[in-house]
Amino acid sequence: MPGLTSPKIRRTAGARLAVVAATAVLPLALASCTDNASANPSGTTDGPIQVTSTDADCKVSAAEAPSGNLTFAVKNDGAEVTEFYVLAEDGLRIVAEVENIGPGITRNLVLTAPAGKYITACKPGMKGDGIRADFTVKDSGKQATADADLQKLVDTGVTQYTAYVKDQTEQLVAGTKEFAAAYAAGDAAKAKSLYAATRMHWERIEPVAESFGDLDPKLDAREADLEPGQKWTGWHRAEKDLFPPAGYKELTAAERAAISKQLVADTEELSTRTRTVKLSADKLGNGAKELLDEVARGKVTGEEEIWSHTDLWDFQANVDGARIAFENLKPALQQKDAALAKDLDAKFSALQAELKNHAKGDGFAYYNELSKDEVQQLSALVDALGEPLSKLTAAVVL
Amino acid sequence: MTANFLIGLREGLEATLIVVLLMAYLTKSGRRALLPRLWAGVGIAVAVSVGFGALLTFGPRGLTFEAQEAIGGGLSIVAVGLVTWMVFWMARTARSLGSELRSRVDGVADGAAWGLVLVAALAVGREGLETALFLWAAAQASGESGTPLFGALLGLAVAAGLGYLLHRGVLKVNLSLFFTWTGVALVVIAGGVLAYGVHDLQEAGILPGLHSLAFDVSTAVPPSSWYGTLLKGTLNFSPATTWLEAAAWVLYAVPVMFFYLRANFRPPLRRAEAPATAAAVAS
Ligand SMILES: [Cu+2]
Repeated sequence: MPGLTSPKIRRTAGARLAVVAATAVLPLALASCTDNASANPSGTTDGPIQVTSTDADCKVSAAEAPSGNLTFAVKNDGAEVTEFYVLAEDGLRIVAEVENIGPGITRNLVLTAPAGKYITACKPGMKGDGIRADFTVKDSGKQATADADLQKLVDTGVTQYTAYVKDQTEQLVAGTKEFAAAYAAGDAAKAKSLYAATRMHWERIEPVAESFGDLDPKLDAREADLEPGQKWTGWHRAEKDLFPPAGYKELTAAERAAISKQLVADTEELSTRTRTVKLSADKLGNGAKELLDEVARGKVTGEEEIWSHTDLWDFQANVDGARIAFENLKPALQQKDAALAKDLDAKFSALQAELKNHAKGDGFAYYNELSKDEVQQLSALVDALGEPLSKLTAAVVL
Repeated sequence: MTANFLIGLREGLEATLIVVLLMAYLTKSGRRALLPRLWAGVGIAVAVSVGFGALLTFGPRGLTFEAQEAIGGGLSIVAVGLVTWMVFWMARTARSLGSELRSRVDGVADGAAWGLVLVAALAVGREGLETALFLWAAAQASGESGTPLFGALLGLAVAAGLGYLLHRGVLKVNLSLFFTWTGVALVVIAGGVLAYGVHDLQEAGILPGLHSLAFDVSTAVPPSSWYGTLLKGTLNFSPATTWLEAAAWVLYAVPVMFFYLRANFRPPLRRAEAPATAAAVAS
């Protein structure tokens, strides 16, 4: 019975361990402080955001706020205990929360929020998903905090972009299924109307999708790029069939069904694989540049959508993807190269403004409707953005 | 009012139960002299929590959400480690109670003094910060109406009262039954504390799987109901439990309970035999 022989030694060891553990927690507590100053209602003009939680309602006094330290004063006007959450854009990750808000009680939630999209939620009765609303944090130009740890900013950016990729793939899978069903059923009108909009989800995350060398050609190969003997599947196969050139021989119903099925299967495979893909700051930065190169290579030239002429949808989506990657890295970039951040901001805005000139309804003008000057103007703006964008990765990572 | 009362009750029970069981144990095993140390631990935890809570509410700096959860979760897990150690210590000393070893054990118990202080401090402290923040908020609200603070304090008082009743009840239980029962209860409670700690770390994003639920019975057992409150307050039962929480509970409670029961029901050592056998072998 060795256990009985040395109880004293073990006891002291246990006590010591506990002291060590307890003292380890304290510095953690002190290191993780956040500014309370903006919680102070007096003084600053932008006081706390008022949240009123009742049993059936969650009123947030503002739907957006400038980045930096935010204070939510959460008042429980209901009869049940409530909780208040600020969730990341994906609606899953908890950015901050305050629990145990009893009826009649106001509790402050203070957090440091970089620019981005968020979701607020009250949870009366502490169960279910809560009463949710969108919340936007606008870039205030202020750095998130004076002494924010750079690595933390980078990590936050990468996490947010990962959530963005997840969201886009989910929408892509849903959209692809709908498109494929219409296309397989021979409903050409519906399939055409879904084509460009659904592809946008693909184009936004193309660098991530392209990192799977086998899936990209299956989903996005253009006829002109086919290698000898390569089976043509994916979006552009359907495109040619839906927007047939003169003298084109239509596919049979069985062929359409097969292409649809393959398209959905490959997209689902893509979605599964992106779940475990590990992103990093350099991938975001390089990805943003790749997206812009894509624009210059295929969209500005009208080669990508040679039959449907919906190149500007893809154009917009590529720019979206690049901009989100940049925005997610921006808090870190502002610390390392504020001038570059400003330059990129301006050039993204200029390109976006020009694109907006070609917007029509929910979509855009067709590529073949653009004049030569208009194409040149877009091309010049893409080049102007591409130059500083190529410096993004090095500025953040090195 | 009722809701604030229930919060006070729940937080109070979470903090009280372990302390009461340890208290009953010390009384029962005739070591009342060690009680002040237990109380010292409780006192330290309350003072630190209240002070820290006030600082975070009124001071210039608040605590980030991750830090709050990490502290709560971290303290919970440390508390489980200590409670487990206490349970086995109790099992060991209980076996020797009444034997001639008694005096020796009492001497050794002195060495565990700091352990007692810590266990009590952690049991109270892990919920203390959250409760203190709540109470300060309720106190601030009392400008409008005193009922929230009153309700919460009443809840805490009732928890303390229930603790006292439990303490009295436990004292009437037969001795050998008492020791087994206390240990079993502590293992179950500690399992709940561990699962809760895991949940906090999941919320802080330190552990994954916050959204993979093993089960969700929050419609049948609403967390805001009185029975939901009692289950949470006593066993730390969460009606919506993640897989990781459930796994932590099972992986802790099952083996620890096994070893605990084995340690408890092992036949008493027959001390006379040992030297005899040794002599036989030697000859
Ligand atoms: Cu928590």
